[in-house]
Amino acid sequence: MAAAAAEGAPASVQLGPSPLLEVSDLRVTFRTRAASIHAVQGISFSVEPGQTLAIIGESGSGKTVSAQAVMGILPRTATVSGSIRFKGDELVGRSEHELRDYRGRNVAMVFQNPERSLNPTMRIGTQIAEAILSHLKVDRKEAHERAVELLRMVRLQAPERRFYEYPHQLSGGMRQRVMIAIALACGPALLIADEATTALDVTTQAQIMDLLMDLQQQTGTALLMISHDLGLAASYAEEVIVMYAGKVVEQAPTKELFADVRMPYTQALLDAIPRIETEPHVLLPVIGGRPPDLAVIPSGCSFAPRCPAVQDDCREQAPPLRQHEPGRWWACWHPYRKGAPE
Amino acid sequence: MSVPADLITTAPVPDTAAPFGPFGTAGRVPGWARSLEIVIPGAILAALLFFCFIWPLVYPVPKPIGGSLLTPHLPLWSPGHILGTDIVGDDVMSRILYGGRVSFEVAAAVQVIGLVIGGSLGMAAAYRGGWVEAVLMRILDVFLAFPSLVLVLAIADGLGPSETHVIWALSFFSIPAFARVARAATLRLRDQPFVVASRLSGSRPLTIMFRHLVPNMWPQLLTFSLLGASLTIILEGALDFLGYGIPPPAASWGNMIASGQQLISVYPSFVVVPSVFLLVTAICLNVLGDGLRARWGTR
Repeated sequence: MAAAAAEGAPASVQLGPSPLLEVSDLRVTFRTRAASIHAVQGISFSVEPGQTLAIIGESGSGKTVSAQAVMGILPRTATVSGSIRFKGDELVGRSEHELRDYRGRNVAMVFQNPERSLNPTMRIGTQIAEAILSHLKVDRKEAHERAVELLRMVRLQAPERRFYEYPHQLSGGMRQRVMIAIALACGPALLIADEATTALDVTTQAQIMDLLMDLQQQTGTALLMISHDLGLAASYAEEVIVMYAGKVVEQAPTKELFADVRMPYTQALLDAIPRIETEPHVLLPVIGGRPPDLAVIPSGCSFAPRCPAVQDDCREQAPPLRQHEPGRWWACWHPYRKGAPE
Repeated sequence: MSVPADLITTAPVPDTAAPFGPFGTAGRVPGWARSLEIVIPGAILAALLFFCFIWPLVYPVPKPIGGSLLTPHLPLWSPGHILGTDIVGDDVMSRILYGGRVSFEVAAAVQVIGLVIGGSLGMAAAYRGGWVEAVLMRILDVFLAFPSLVLVLAIADGLGPSETHVIWALSFFSIPAFARVARAATLRLRDQPFVVASRLSGSRPLTIMFRHLVPNMWPQLLTFSLLGASLTIILEGALDFLGYGIPPPAASWGNMIASGQQLISVYPSFVVVPSVFLLVTAICLNVLGDGLRARWGTR
């Protein structure tokens, strides 16, 4: 068996010549007094222009840390290795000063919590204008016009009036629209939505996702969705990456993934989702055990202690992430066979 | 196995975080009581400021020094001298007003110096982080570790008695105190999504500090400065009392108490009158600071 690292970036092999974002063998380690936490343990993926990619996984699987690494906003205690290339430029090891120009214009991010993502003491229009003024060479009047236009683009009613309102005057969904307007202010090529709809109710969630999809159509921005919500990924993403304990465990085009799950972890996640045909008051299947301690790198597969299909060799050596079928990657010694998981 | 995607959704996660800023949650005290807590001390302070700074300009108040030696120690409510005269015949009311000016000027100057210098240092240090923050905060801790009055006395003694020197001596306290408050507030705000979002949209550190951090920590700094002002007024009184503050014959509440205490058994009003003014001012500043703090929900 070949070592995992040599397999390299899955998507860069399979897809076109110039990916927008190319992450290869990214490792993020947090040093604390007690231990080193290996939050991301060598992940690779790439995003093509205009593509929608979802990274899913439970809390602590390293999905948000990966996104923060791409934005260059990891806390100081983090050490990053590997490579993050945006349009061919290496970002790992760049200074805050150098990253300032890259952010906003090239990559923007929408956060989970619309309550805290806007400055409560500033008018929303001013906050959008600030983003515009920090990158584009325009005067205040043009920035104002562009901000109103952005508010109209994210479908806020009466954008001229909204410009002068404060965040507390808006609902959660409206605030998230403003956040999207700020993120799109400088026309980024890649938009990262880190659990962007998690804090919203289901109807608003659908509206925001539809808005993001429409805007993506209009502007050609690539979208990287970070979510724990498989349903969201299934409905909106073209390709899905499943992360567990800091590693990519399965990657496939959305339709194929949900039609035919190979990795037992992905299957377990799907089984844990309540479904309408399930009998009422029946306990949902849960994944037994707990996610592994990221301070210790296990010798075998990190999902082995919780895996229903575990065998002896799983505990001895970690399975590498390999392309087993065209476009389909998984890291498992004993994947479920096509069509018949259980 | 396939899962119909439209059946898969998650419950929205409620945002349980308390709102911060001027619209915090109410305490157990009823609303009207909380506004009285602000209105009453606010009104008293406004009246004191008016009488100290504006009244002498529009009304012929007797001079605070050079009173007639022929009319010393007049009792309270004497005609023309509402609070009487002191041992050398100066009008007590007038000395209270001019002394109050000193107290308020010193308090305001010390708070402003602390706010501007200390606040900027603390905010910049916390935002920058790393060794800069560690070194700066340890240096400021050294100042805070000194017993306040002893250090102030040492500085005031070194500089010599004068109002400006009192201000600088007391600022040695307000600067590190404000730096700590600003640092704590910055640490709290620095990783708030809106600050990170501003960084992500490419804002410069100075823009972030003055547009995002300062407006959000402003209520906290303001209430802190009111509490600080009350402490400053008391310390300034103590300095005057000990003879390191405003040199007589210029009036200040502290040196009025100091000169009055020799005659306290004969003329208790010489001590009581300035003490009452000092006390009322300090209490009002404290209550106002606490009231605003409760109203704005700052800690």
